[in-house]
Amino acid sequence: MPKITYIEFNGRKHIVDAAPGLSVMECAKQNGVPGIDADCGGGCSCGTCHVYVDPPWQARVGGRNAIEDATIEFASGVEANSRLSCQIKLTDDLDGLVVRLPESQR
Amino acid sequence: MSSIGVASERAAFAGSVRNPRLEPALERAGIDPRRIRLGAFPMNAVQETKLDWDPYNPDYFRDPHSVFARLREEAPLYHNERYGFYAVSRYADVERCMGDWETFSSARGDILEMIQANFPVPRGSFIHHDPPLHTAYRKVLTRVFTPKRMAALEPQIRQFCARSLDPLVESGEFDFIANLGAEMPMRVIGMLLGIPEEDQVAIRERVDANLRTEQGKPMDYSKTTKMGEGFEGYIDWRVSHPSDDLMTALLAVEFEDETGAARRLTRDEILVIVNIIAGAGNETTNRLIGWTGKLLAEHPDQRRQIHQDRSLIPQAIEEILRYEPPGPAVARYVTRDVEFHGSTVPAGSALVALVAAANRDERKFPNGGQFDIHRKRLPHLTFGYGFHNCLGNALARVEGRIALDEILNRFPEWDVDLDRGYLSSTSTVRGWETLPAYTPKAREGRRNRGPVAETSMATGPTSPPAPEPAPAGAERWHVTLQTPMGPQEMTLHLVRDGDTVTGRIDSPMGSEALKNGKIAGNTLTWIMEVKKPMSVKLSFEVQVQGERMTGHAKLGVFGKARLEGQRLAG
Repeated sequence: MPKITYIEFNGRKHIVDAAPGLSVMECAKQNGVPGIDADCGGGCSCGTCHVYVDPPWQARVGGRNAIEDATIEFASGVEANSRLSCQIKLTDDLDGLVVRLPESQR
Repeated sequence: MSSIGVASERAAFAGSVRNPRLEPALERAGIDPRRIRLGAFPMNAVQETKLDWDPYNPDYFRDPHSVFARLREEAPLYHNERYGFYAVSRYADVERCMGDWETFSSARGDILEMIQANFPVPRGSFIHHDPPLHTAYRKVLTRVFTPKRMAALEPQIRQFCARSLDPLVESGEFDFIANLGAEMPMRVIGMLLGIPEEDQVAIRERVDANLRTEQGKPMDYSKTTKMGEGFEGYIDWRVSHPSDDLMTALLAVEFEDETGAARRLTRDEILVIVNIIAGAGNETTNRLIGWTGKLLAEHPDQRRQIHQDRSLIPQAIEEILRYEPPGPAVARYVTRDVEFHGSTVPAGSALVALVAAANRDERKFPNGGQFDIHRKRLPHLTFGYGFHNCLGNALARVEGRIALDEILNRFPEWDVDLDRGYLSSTSTVRGWETLPAYTPKAREGRRNRGPVAETSMATGPTSPPAPEPAPAGAERWHVTLQTPMGPQEMTLHLVRDGDTVTGRIDSPMGSEALKNGKIAGNTLTWIMEVKKPMSVKLSFEVQVQGERMTGHAKLGVFGKARLEGQRLAG
């Protein structure tokens, strides 16, 4: 079972066990990690589940596809390592993944 | 045509079952009311009839979900030969249409009739462009409609709600549409666009003054029918009075267009954009508020839970959006042969993606026909998916959530009067145009007043509000207008006086007065402004010959619509 570390904007860490098949967004929601709104429920259409993938993980997580790239325009403070967490599917490959949360999704 | 007859019968039957007081009881008993409408017992015969979905048949407006359920199961790729379109209804198929713009293009429009008529799309009408043109405009606008900026509007939205709802608390009688849905979203979008209320009068007077100077001269219809008509005054005002609003932002923005050139938006582009945003921002949220009133009246248990725990509001709004999407369908132009369920949709076809059907697809949403604010959160398709997903989704969500919160603050319980309510379904939106509601206390008061309460409690078909009496001495004409939204039947009242003509048109969308009516020989011209389904100025030109009338109406950018009319007796 992959372990994911979420780091809130204030530095607080949440290390959770993720069931494979979930997205990084769903895993946060299920484990009560604050700071991800995900208004649309995982449809890549609202831009409120923005996270920063810790640079060492960027290559393994991969980049945004064209639709995600368009939707992330709704978010603020978008950087090269910004992703919509509903679009990152968790696999055993991502065991140890670290993502950082923005100050706010809105 | 027998299948149509059966469909009507089924709708009539469905009407007798579709009882807000009965449905929760059926659900509690574990019976899905939808299954009854589908013909679980007396309606077996219906299942054997040919599946026919006629998007223009009013019998389907009140309950399209029964036929959508059949489409999903029996004809996941549906071909309507009479109207010449295809339709998909399963979640995966609708999502596929929205996600693949190269195969399912928006460049000929997003409404079936618009695609079929192949109207030219004006530049800036971003909802009707494909990448890269779409991307250029969309980027400009996305910056303005971010969740962050929309969340910041909360205090003003609450204020608008209070202004609409406070005066109704004492009587406990209100209309979800007239009192809130038609007011709050309009004020919010007006504020966003930069038409502050204190400026509105001054600007309107300027626009009126412009019109006055043209009196006595022939009207230049090529100018007056431009999409965005009516906003020029506001835009010109903003050139000299910049502010923190969308129009100012659009005037100032530098963007990279599809050719890669950095430039500003032209005045025409801004007009088109503003018109789309104004139209989209009013109508859809208005419908969301109506569905909120209706669905929560039918599910008082869930309403009570929300009243006690307001943190349930966001998921309640998502469930309302899923269950009754204000925009139940979108259409796309198919650019290459494409396969669905073993059949080919040929290039050049118009394809309707049934959002309202996809949102109840059991393959995605278990018990999809059940309204349940506690269901597992999964993405509905009400705001679309992909490049054309709803630009205003964050705004609609904020407005819907605040509206519900403010309603519950004042009216913890209400009942809706569906028989006095009026539901309309156009090619773009479906929902309540009027939806009277009353609190339990007000209901008691109505009972004591006698017959009024009896009438409102009676069951019967939904009908439009009764039109005002016709002007004295008016000629009455039955008119059919072949619009991109389908054929529209109207009653035209004309009063001819010398070389001018006045009167009005009554249609299911409401009544509109004729303006600038002129007579030259047997040719009559006038203009009419409609707000639904989009804000468009219509310019009519008809020839009257005895008891018959022929001609056309220019529908802004949507081209010309043929008109035929027959004089009515009396």
